[in-house]
Amino acid sequence: MPITPMEVYKLLPKTNCKKCGEQTCMAFAFKVINREKQIEECSPLFEEKKYANQKEKLLGLLEPLKEATETGLIVDEERCTGCANCIVVCPVHASEDPYGSGSGYGPKIEDPIYRLEDGVLKIINVKKCRRYGKNRILCVACRENCPSDAISFLEG
Amino acid sequence: MHVCTGCSCLCDDIDLKIENGRISRAYNACRRGAGIFLNISSSRAKPTIDGQQVDLERALQKAQEIIQDSENLAIYGLDTTTLEAQRLAIELAEKKEAFIDDNSTFCLGDFVEMILKKEIPSTTLEEVKNNAYVLFYWGTDPYHSLSRHLSKFTYYPRGGKRQRGYEEDRFLVVIDIRKTHTAKLAKKNARFLKAENDADIIRGFIDALEGRSPKIFQKEIPRILKEMEKGGFNVIFGGLGLKYGLGGDYALLKEMIERMNERSEVYFMPAGCHPNMRGFNELLFEKTGHVNRYSFREKRSSDDFAFHRLLKNDSADTALIIGSDPLNSLPLEYAGKLSEINTIVIDPRETFTGRVAKVTIPSALSGVESGGTMIGADGSRVELNPVFEAEINDEYILKKLLEVV
Amino acid sequence: MPLEFSKFLKKIGVQVVVGRWSFQVEAMDRGKFSDEFIERSAVIYLTEEFGKANGFKEGDVVRVSSGNKSVNLKIMFTDVAPENGAFMPNSIYTSYLSDFSNFKRFNATLEPTDDDVTKPEEIMQKVLSKI
Repeated sequence: MPITPMEVYKLLPKTNCKKCGEQTCMAFAFKVINREKQIEECSPLFEEKKYANQKEKLLGLLEPLKEATETGLIVDEERCTGCANCIVVCPVHASEDPYGSGSGYGPKIEDPIYRLEDGVLKIINVKKCRRYGKNRILCVACRENCPSDAISFLEG
Repeated sequence: MHVCTGCSCLCDDIDLKIENGRISRAYNACRRGAGIFLNISSSRAKPTIDGQQVDLERALQKAQEIIQDSENLAIYGLDTTTLEAQRLAIELAEKKEAFIDDNSTFCLGDFVEMILKKEIPSTTLEEVKNNAYVLFYWGTDPYHSLSRHLSKFTYYPRGGKRQRGYEEDRFLVVIDIRKTHTAKLAKKNARFLKAENDADIIRGFIDALEGRSPKIFQKEIPRILKEMEKGGFNVIFGGLGLKYGLGGDYALLKEMIERMNERSEVYFMPAGCHPNMRGFNELLFEKTGHVNRYSFREKRSSDDFAFHRLLKNDSADTALIIGSDPLNSLPLEYAGKLSEINTIVIDPRETFTGRVAKVTIPSALSGVESGGTMIGADGSRVELNPVFEAEINDEYILKKLLEVV
Repeated sequence: MPLEFSKFLKKIGVQVVVGRWSFQVEAMDRGKFSDEFIERSAVIYLTEEFGKANGFKEGDVVRVSSGNKSVNLKIMFTDVAPENGAFMPNSIYTSYLSDFSNFKRFNATLEPTDDDVTKPEEIMQKVLSKI
């Protein structure tokens, strides 16, 4: 399930101390979720005892960040039936693999973003995803067409 | 590339990795399909007589004796095997003047029959991919039963005249009693109609086509009809929910499809699971003019010859079941009777029915361990490309049984 | 000793819709006599809202009865169950509870039970002993 900046913000010190380099704790929360900042950069949280409880909760909340790919993508294989809607609907697949996944077949290119392996969705090459890199687009085509919520993005 | 025999989609783009003579990876198959390839060694049937394991020869011989001695043989199942094996089963039924039936009697045989008799227009999935605009899924949840249906053939793929993707080039209509996973996909350019009563929805469409305001879904039905006119080529996939919702009376459905066709092309296709159910229906239809529930002795088809009715009425002394598990899939008060008569089960895997059978004969998994042809839900013939070639398959066993009649 | 409120719950009547469930079909290929088959077949799905409103938790075992037949099944929550009813994957459990007249939709009652979920062998025994 996606983590929202608000959830992170609520567990931060909320003092807007700017020690992390951001103007506000809310701005820091956004960047943590986008993996532009590490939670450890909030020094009061780690140094001041009164935040110990919040720190523990935050670290737990952010655990899935480690699992997520560079685009914030998380696939829950347990929920996946292998319908391949996500693979075929993907605009990158449609343009780079028009006669394979763009036409409903299994991918015919070597490095698709997604492929079905052993009946469930596997991420093969996230670098092709439109969400990857500096000029990313927050495309949600795959998630929108997964009816069992097997696909999610950290930032929602 | 291999063909998946998990359902009637018969997906033909399955890639497998074989290591040390074993399938170690399945690519492009859905969960259900991959499960078949990856679990080939799980729960395999063994040759048995009265529940005791015997060698295969002995089990085959016992089956031959039973078939030879049977006076009222009923042959059943057949929807997961090949056309070649189905043909042999029909030949056996003919020679023994037996009853023959398959799952389609309680599955979608009625729809296939209407199509074969040309009472309703139908088309192929390839045509759907290249042309179809409005896609109805009525009483079926393909996300679970035909997992790649929408991505490989209907809603999502680009093809022919439909190159702009689902948001512009397709219109999805899901009609079901509950909001299924498939229904959850009906978002933009789509409608979900919650069906308490299928006949009422059909009447709604007929009313709107005749210029009257429909009694239900007053906004949705006219909009869908407008989209159908715009699209020009539309298709209705009917599932078990529609069949059981209509209670076997298809007059209204046929009328609706006929009326719809006065305005735009509308095709009807069965959305059923069994990989080669249509194959059996077509073979029997070619031979007898009927798709199922047939008695070669009486040379006619009747509800009384439906497999469960034969059991209920004690009309069969012997049952030969190929690739089906009635104890799992038929109401048990009928299926339970299989323990009373001489039941022979031919199946690659252990089944509940096998546990109560007189004889079980292990067979090969069609498409993985044995080749042949199947006919998908849309009538297309697909040649299987097995990974292994098992000597003992349905064809081999049926030929053995034919030797004694 | 904590009070077991479930004991005081009354029976509820529901309409059960029967259909395919990919995860259950997968378990059939692993083996009909496997634990996984029971885990994925001996299940009755409710929406979380409907389940909780009637005092059920996910994982509770309930006795599901239709006519004079009953089996014990585990409750699972899903948002694709009928709003005020239940969903079951088709298997020996639904085949036991239903008949052709109500093959894909049947009425049943649900009540709490402390017993374990019913095994397929137990159903087979019940059926065969009647014949």
